[in-house]
Amino acid sequence: MIYATPATGALGLLVLFALILSGVRIGAALGLVGLGGLAVVLGPEPALIKAGVVTIDTLTRYELGTLPLFLLMAHVFFAVDASRDMFDVAARFLGHRRGGLAYAAVAGCAGFGAINGSSLATAATIGSVALPEMRRRGYSDALATGTVAAGGTLGQMIPPSGALIVYGIIAETSIGQLFTAAIIPGISQALFYFVVIWLLVRWKPGVAPASERAGWRERWESLRRVWDMALLIAVVIGGIAVGWISPSEAAAIGAAGSLLIALVRRRLGWSMLFSAFEATLKTSGMIFLIIIGALVFSVFIGVTGLAEAASSGIAGLHLGPTGTLVVIALLLLVLGSVLDGLALMLLTTPILLPIVESTGMSALWFGIFITRAMEMGFVHPPLGMNLYVIQGVAKDVPIGRIFKGVLPFLASDFVHLFLLILVPGMALWLPSVLR
Amino acid sequence: MTALHRIGVWIGGAALLAATAIDTIAVIGRNIGLPIIGSIELVQTAVLVSGVFGLIFATWGEEHARVRILTDRLPRAGALADIIGPLSMALFFGCLLTGSLWLASDLWSGHERSEVLGIPWGALRLTANLGLAGCVLASLAVLFRRTQR
Repeated sequence: MIYATPATGALGLLVLFALILSGVRIGAALGLVGLGGLAVVLGPEPALIKAGVVTIDTLTRYELGTLPLFLLMAHVFFAVDASRDMFDVAARFLGHRRGGLAYAAVAGCAGFGAINGSSLATAATIGSVALPEMRRRGYSDALATGTVAAGGTLGQMIPPSGALIVYGIIAETSIGQLFTAAIIPGISQALFYFVVIWLLVRWKPGVAPASERAGWRERWESLRRVWDMALLIAVVIGGIAVGWISPSEAAAIGAAGSLLIALVRRRLGWSMLFSAFEATLKTSGMIFLIIIGALVFSVFIGVTGLAEAASSGIAGLHLGPTGTLVVIALLLLVLGSVLDGLALMLLTTPILLPIVESTGMSALWFGIFITRAMEMGFVHPPLGMNLYVIQGVAKDVPIGRIFKGVLPFLASDFVHLFLLILVPGMALWLPSVLR
Repeated sequence: MTALHRIGVWIGGAALLAATAIDTIAVIGRNIGLPIIGSIELVQTAVLVSGVFGLIFATWGEEHARVRILTDRLPRAGALADIIGPLSMALFFGCLLTGSLWLASDLWSGHERSEVLGIPWGALRLTANLGLAGCVLASLAVLFRRTQR
């Protein structure tokens, strides 16, 4: 074990960056560096056997069932036009106010985020419904696109969240507690976006004209189309929060409920089911590979003692808990502007988690914090993926205008992230009350 | 779309439906005083089956996540990445398969079974290993596809 030193870990990290930037798939890069590093440190035989153990353990892990079943629920809901129904409700209740459709887009993203754990999917689906409507009613392109790009990130935070499931598996933290901890940060993030829209509309009223008021009959009609989904979401998220069901059971109930809703709406057919299965299998396969790679990589990092060395190095700077967490936040934001969200989480968790724990924060809090930082990477120019997804929906809007539109929301994200550091109770209070 | 692909999607989908049904019935059963014994082990089996098909489809469809910041801007690097990408996937899956086969051969004579229902672990390992072999083949097929362009 002469090579089991932090320097070996740091070298592995450099090789990993080089592989990822040269286009090697993230899961394979993580796994190959982990395997290669373990082969150098422990020898080829233990490295291969460890990889075999990790693979079988991961693929037969009960908690991992949570991910594909929530994905199945989301794909079935895509097929029943859930995104349009969610946006319609919010638009009919808020659309008559100045900037009302922008509020509705954020609310629609929050609602859709509760049935789908992906930032990109939320931005794309709500964007395809909300953007044409906002532009038709004279909203400025910058406000319309910025709102949906930022709102889309709620999909990652509002439970059930794919990122939190993956984090729970990697950091061996309760997925149920992570979902509960994400509720207040998710809601407060949406409220921050409401404040941004309110301020923008007060400052420049011309960016979001008021529309006609929908009658109560229309409002009830729109509510009638979502009550079943709302009830299912309440059972799934509420059931986990109060400990009535485990996240895996909640995912199964969510998937069963979505299929039942599709059946009642006469949308459940063989071709729809095939498409939902295919999309679910592909997405879950993609995430499983990254998880397996990340687990092998984290074993390697653990053996080299890199995390402990980094932790002592940062402690030696005497920055104090808040200073340390601010430095970590900045590091995540810098890395998040060049790395894919999941890669950022899986690459940095084994190294940063011990440092965070040394400041007195828990793995539960760090899960919410890193997910929040990840979300910011999705709207961070120049590489934020949500911005390009939105440009795909509104092809005639220049990317520069989308960058400009998202900046006020990004500024509110910075404030929100800093608030999460200053007031950890935002994430930790609810799980402690409902435990 | 090949018949093999369609069959794979339906098998993987059936495993997802099985996991959905088992856990849903387990929750209902627990609340009406009729707990389902061994539901976790059944879901584990279903997760394994859907997982291996997911890995194969994601590999075959080149769905695995990658960072394009450099390769999209440098054409020669992009062309190289087209070869290195599937090659590294084949290598990684090959290593996982080797490790998993090694483990399976070491434990074969132990006739391991799951605790509650007695599901033979040998069968689960065989499923995983066939899936990993499928991933190696899918990666090599992608590599072949790329070199033919």
